[in-house]
Amino acid sequence: MQARSEEELVEELKREHSDLLVEAVVHRSKRVSIVAKREKLLELARLLRDKYSFTHPVSAGAIDYIKEGKMQMIYYLMNPESRFMLMLRVDLPRDNPKMPSMTQIWEAMSFHEREAWEMFGIDFEGHPNLTHLLLPPDWRGGYPLRKDFKGEGIAP
Amino acid sequence: MAERFAAPIYGVIDYLLTWARKFSIWPIHFVTGCCSPEFMQVSGSRFDMERLGVLPFASVRQCDCLMVVGVISRKMGERVKYLYEQMGEPKFVVSVGACPTGRGPFYDSYATVAIDDLVPVDVYIPGCPPRPEAIIQGLMLLQEKIRKECGLRAGKE
Amino acid sequence: MTEPEIKPEVMRISWGPQHPMSGQTRILIDVDGEIVRRIIADIGFTHRGIEKILENRTFIQGIVPIERMVMADTANIALGYVQAVEEALGIEVPERAKWIRSLICEMGRINSHLYAFGLQVECTGYFPAVFLWTTVDREVLLDLFEKLTGARWSYSFFIPGGVRADLPEGFRDEVKRAVKYLRRRFQDYWDAMVENPLFEMRNRGVGVLSREDAIRLGATGPVLRGSGVDMDVRRDEPYAAYGDLDFKVITEREGDCLARLKVRFHEIEQSLNIMEQIADEIPGGPVRTKVSLFPRSKPGVEALSRVETARGELGVHIFTDGGMKPYRVKINSPTLRNMYVFERLAELDRVLVADLPVILYSIDPWYLDCDR
Repeated sequence: MQARSEEELVEELKREHSDLLVEAVVHRSKRVSIVAKREKLLELARLLRDKYSFTHPVSAGAIDYIKEGKMQMIYYLMNPESRFMLMLRVDLPRDNPKMPSMTQIWEAMSFHEREAWEMFGIDFEGHPNLTHLLLPPDWRGGYPLRKDFKGEGIAP
Repeated sequence: MAERFAAPIYGVIDYLLTWARKFSIWPIHFVTGCCSPEFMQVSGSRFDMERLGVLPFASVRQCDCLMVVGVISRKMGERVKYLYEQMGEPKFVVSVGACPTGRGPFYDSYATVAIDDLVPVDVYIPGCPPRPEAIIQGLMLLQEKIRKECGLRAGKE
Repeated sequence: MTEPEIKPEVMRISWGPQHPMSGQTRILIDVDGEIVRRIIADIGFTHRGIEKILENRTFIQGIVPIERMVMADTANIALGYVQAVEEALGIEVPERAKWIRSLICEMGRINSHLYAFGLQVECTGYFPAVFLWTTVDREVLLDLFEKLTGARWSYSFFIPGGVRADLPEGFRDEVKRAVKYLRRRFQDYWDAMVENPLFEMRNRGVGVLSREDAIRLGATGPVLRGSGVDMDVRRDEPYAAYGDLDFKVITEREGDCLARLKVRFHEIEQSLNIMEQIADEIPGGPVRTKVSLFPRSKPGVEALSRVETARGELGVHIFTDGGMKPYRVKINSPTLRNMYVFERLAELDRVLVADLPVILYSIDPWYLDCDR
């Protein structure tokens, strides 16, 4: 089946699956951004992989919006046919950032979720191996990429 | 009368000993950061460091120099310390680049360590990355240091 | 890392950071005789916290830490960051600057592929001779860089708005001479190594990655193209001058170490063609649009820029908040994706211990890139 372009994808998602989304926009050519509802995230992710063929995982990362009291986790995905970048986002509350792990859908997100855990403190439920990736194994300090990290845990 | 001949003989043995030591500095084959391509260009054909006797060698127990080439993070710092302790005397440490010297362009990062906190350093070679000529000059400074300090009279003054 | 448990009939080998052929990482291998049962990549030995540092540098100061991500290929990485800044701040770049950027990026790509080729040959049979040949060829390119920018590896030549300086007198002829020299040398390499039956025996059929697995596990760069998937950011989303240049995207079908090496080899050939095209056809004009030294951004803008480095696709995503420094810079590193593929290869294919260095270097990791 012909791969959908950016606008067609956004139109179809808004038309048929608007209960799973908060927002879907086309930023510019080849950049699409979807914000999912937190409880429907797994369903939307499975739909993107199976029906819309976003089978090529690129990366994942998070941002800390301290003033708005939330953290946003972003998953970067691609479709090998249509080749534009889809950013799947979900908002998490800052005092209890928990979400289901996407490794059950895209296996390659394993390393990226480990990094997001150790840098931001987001707890991924169902991740097979949530241990330190880049920081030393005996790191006792805070979460380095949060905006209120003051350098705790640094031992000479 | 034996004392009249002792000093010249000691001098000759001293000279031969330090000459042998300074022209066979074997660093550990160990690069830690982004200065590594420049280090490999120094061991290449244009700026040959093997003509000075410097051969990167794999086994730690048979090396006498630890060249810390590039940025040290916390995880790597423990290994640098282990390697320093495993070398045999006399041993030297050369810090290549701006990063081990004083953390370089990453001076305010939570993850980098300056090498002075871990091991005693003999020669610092600044630069980001240092030019191959600078690395060779650093090695020649190390040779000067060996000539002065590692003879028969080492530790006796 | 807290290490997973070992079963009693396997032995765990720690192939650690101090090893001639491991690079700056530790790889734990569970072996049962000669067969590798499991590979665990323990990365993080060169973690410098670049993403946190970039939040504390202005937009132009940020070029210095980020280009030290991959030293062999700093042009492509710096270009990724600079393009993201230009998109976030709305800065235009003149045509001649785009062509000069492409020229330097291709020279960086050849530099990095030579390094990867030399290391892969070296670990196949400990031939430091071929690796030392490649150091001489890199000197030709480094002399060109020095003539143009003043530094050999980390030149910080791209800034938002263009490049720092124009090409000096006679530079285009020197580029053509260097291209002629390198073409002759590549014929030597092809005859000596790639057509060598011993080398083929060690590389053919080793570490096979099928097309579906390469897509599903998120491989990138020559690893992806060696398995038959033709994705290349230079052609899919043309940036700099690649929209006007004529080059082919190289793919091979088998997915083994020899295929990945051939992809790199032919990419060097394509890069040499691109360098000649640029030296012949570069347009005139200014090389820089004037931008203040401390540009200020509008709040709430985000920009994702993708470039094709020698190892794969790099993404730099900048979020702004209205100040002189970015709010967050997220870097999508190519080697982190390829290291996951490397971990899974023990389950996909029968891997022997002796093949492990060859497979590792055919994936071409640069650990400073995955640790950032």
